[in-house]
Amino acid sequence: MSSQALKPIVPVAAEGPGACASSGSDSLEGRSIDWFSLAIILPAVLILFGFLLLFFYGVYQSLTDLRLGRPIAKFVGFANFIALGRTADFWNSVRVTVTYALSSVVMEALLGLAVAKLFASGVFMARALRPVILLPLVLPPMSVALMWTTMMNPQSGIMNYLLSLIGLAPFAWISDTRTALLSVIMIDVWTYTPFFALIIFAGLQGITDDIREAARINGGKAWATFVNIELPLVAPHILIAAIFRLIESLNQFDIIFGTTQGGPGNSTSALSVQAYITAFQNLTFGRGAALMVVNWLIVLIGAFFTVKLWRAVRRRVQ
Amino acid sequence: MDFTRSLTTRIVLNAMVLICVAVLAFPLVWIVMMALKQQSDVMAWPPSFVFTPTMDNFRVLFDAAQAGATSYGTIKVDFLKPVINSVVIALGAVVVSLIAGVPAGYVLARRDIPYKEDIAFFILGFRFAPVLLVVIPLFSLFQSLGLYDTYIGMIWVYQVVTLPMIVWLTRSYVEDIPKDIEEAAAIDGAKPFRVVLHIVLPLLKPGLIGASLLVFLLAWHNFALGLMLSSTKAPVTVALLKLLNPGIQFYPVMAAGLVVTMIVPVILIVIGQRHLERGLTFGAVK
Repeated sequence: MSSQALKPIVPVAAEGPGACASSGSDSLEGRSIDWFSLAIILPAVLILFGFLLLFFYGVYQSLTDLRLGRPIAKFVGFANFIALGRTADFWNSVRVTVTYALSSVVMEALLGLAVAKLFASGVFMARALRPVILLPLVLPPMSVALMWTTMMNPQSGIMNYLLSLIGLAPFAWISDTRTALLSVIMIDVWTYTPFFALIIFAGLQGITDDIREAARINGGKAWATFVNIELPLVAPHILIAAIFRLIESLNQFDIIFGTTQGGPGNSTSALSVQAYITAFQNLTFGRGAALMVVNWLIVLIGAFFTVKLWRAVRRRVQ
Repeated sequence: MDFTRSLTTRIVLNAMVLICVAVLAFPLVWIVMMALKQQSDVMAWPPSFVFTPTMDNFRVLFDAAQAGATSYGTIKVDFLKPVINSVVIALGAVVVSLIAGVPAGYVLARRDIPYKEDIAFFILGFRFAPVLLVVIPLFSLFQSLGLYDTYIGMIWVYQVVTLPMIVWLTRSYVEDIPKDIEEAAAIDGAKPFRVVLHIVLPLLKPGLIGASLLVFLLAWHNFALGLMLSSTKAPVTVALLKLLNPGIQFYPVMAAGLVVTMIVPVILIVIGQRHLERGLTFGAVK
């Protein structure tokens, strides 16, 4: 739930009276439609509102010492957060989460731009094979994670064989603390670069040939046209894709859990994975919820700044 | 603008596209090959690209009668049940989302209700829901309500993934239908409900089929909810992870499991590529 989800709590709660007040001045017909429409939208809002309540309950649990199998949980204030802040493991998880998200989003944006530009060239192969871009996105992230786990196996995996073909030494991939984080980031990049590529591709299609023609007539070389005309025009597309991916990769669970479960050591233990282990393996639910609250706050901060950047860039483009 | 490029440029560009496609497709091709290999071929070094294909790995995966016995050991696996679980949960989630979400999406597109944009954003916000923060309290709630490890419970909790998507996709598809059509029918004296049923719904059908495909796919992808809120009703993604534990000698069986989880999405691409593209980038591209 982002900030957007939290803002409308009041409006949703005030739905009934709000409708009453506004329909008083409307025509008779307008009033009846209003109520009918509200009734129609209600089931969907109620189902989701249930999740919102659970979310708040989760936040409350982060302030208790809830453990599984113990019926009574005591309110402990910020004790969970303070205890977490004292452990090196916690700060390691924060570092892993942020490193994972930022580096994958940056790499995906750059590669996605290149792939989009390549497929927007409209050459024969690009037109014929464009659906292949979708491939990584439609696979279950857990399948992607396990697929790469087999391929990255240091002894029998195909990746080290391919490296040996071009004369490189075997790589430890996800089995070594020094290379594990880089390896899971690479899996994320393989999976979600197509997401950027699709969105940037759509943005490039939106630039009319007139604009490019004008740039050409003014003497712009291909590279100059790209830097001065295309890049600023697709920048808002890149940033909106970045907002989506940043939020999702800060919350990433499947890919990390499927490949390394946070290991080796704690080298890939992102906050979400750590929260799962804390809650469902160590059964300290309160502590696990606290980790998720921290994760969620990081998501909010990340989303806030990216949205700000996107707004600024969009304004400048217009 | 193809004609302005020289032949060499075109050849280079085509070659680069092919490299790009190879990087995206190779892992899948490799896994399919692995699933069709004998265990000894999989363990061989250097990895072989030529081999006699076998369906033995798939037999191990689904043959509960032989309890996963292979020539190189026994793997405890019953893959059919998780596949059925996933299909039941995903289909159920899609149906519930369609019933609750399509009318809501229509209202958000066409009717004037108070706080419309706020409600719409409230719904979209769930695309970014921190799933674990909802699941941790849900776990104890499900236990006490008897919903833990039931289809009903799973279908309800999957709504956090599927419902917002259906609402927003329906809204965007309704907005694509020209308003004039509805207004013309209304002037002819048709009741609003009949207009929706006989005019809007048929026009909406292709979009709704596409949206259902996408949402089915998202439900099929889900792992975390099933991991924490089910055991015997666990979806196929959870069963897949369990295939990793028996060890590296069972990689071919896991590869067969991977192929099973990947076949469904690949079929969906073939059926509805255009709709999936719209859905997968939804929110970012209108």
